[in-house]
Amino acid sequence: MDFQLLGLSFITVFLAEIGDKSQLAAIALGGSSKYPRAVFLGSTVALVLASFLGVIAGGGVAQFLPEKLLKAIAAFGFLLMALKLVWVTESE
Amino acid sequence: MKTPNLKSIESATELSNEVKSELKSTVKWSFWTVFSSTFITIFLAEMGDKTQLVTLLMSAESQSPWIVFLGAAMALISTSLLGVLVGYWLSKKLSPKTLDLTVAILLLFITGWLISDVIS
Repeated sequence: MDFQLLGLSFITVFLAEIGDKSQLAAIALGGSSKYPRAVFLGSTVALVLASFLGVIAGGGVAQFLPEKLLKAIAAFGFLLMALKLVWVTESE
Repeated sequence: MKTPNLKSIESATELSNEVKSELKSTVKWSFWTVFSSTFITIFLAEMGDKTQLVTLLMSAESQSPWIVFLGAAMALISTSLLGVLVGYWLSKKLSPKTLDLTVAILLLFITGWLISDVIS
């Protein structure tokens, strides 16, 4: 068990993630939803699965991944959530 | 006061159970919608993102990719926890109106960030 590598990957990923989109999403969704636990679970499972795919597929992931399409869908998803939030407060 | 007979007590408990299960199902339902909407949006946003590339490169370089994955997973769990705690703390500090507005703006900011990724 190479603890030096473990610590290195922990710090690298931690710094890469702080202030990244997904962390802002965790802050935004965690603050606005009645179920912060669901947000934490959803975010954690999504991130760990994404990095798991990265480790498994190695370089392969980068080539065939339609990254731009996936990000466009994610952008649409976040837009929906923002509108839902604003729309819900309007109608209350 | 007429003592309530067995019949009405029974129907009352039946009614309350119904209401309780109804409530429980709505609570369960929305817990899972929050979970799945968070999971889908963050997973899609994260695919091909820098965190995944960092993990990918480090695991490719090192002889033990699973230690890299373990370190990455722990880091991702702690940043998610940190994010949700900050969000939760924010929700306690701000009034509901300003909170929803700030969160909506933050979500729109993330949308813009993703769109700029798509365009570049």
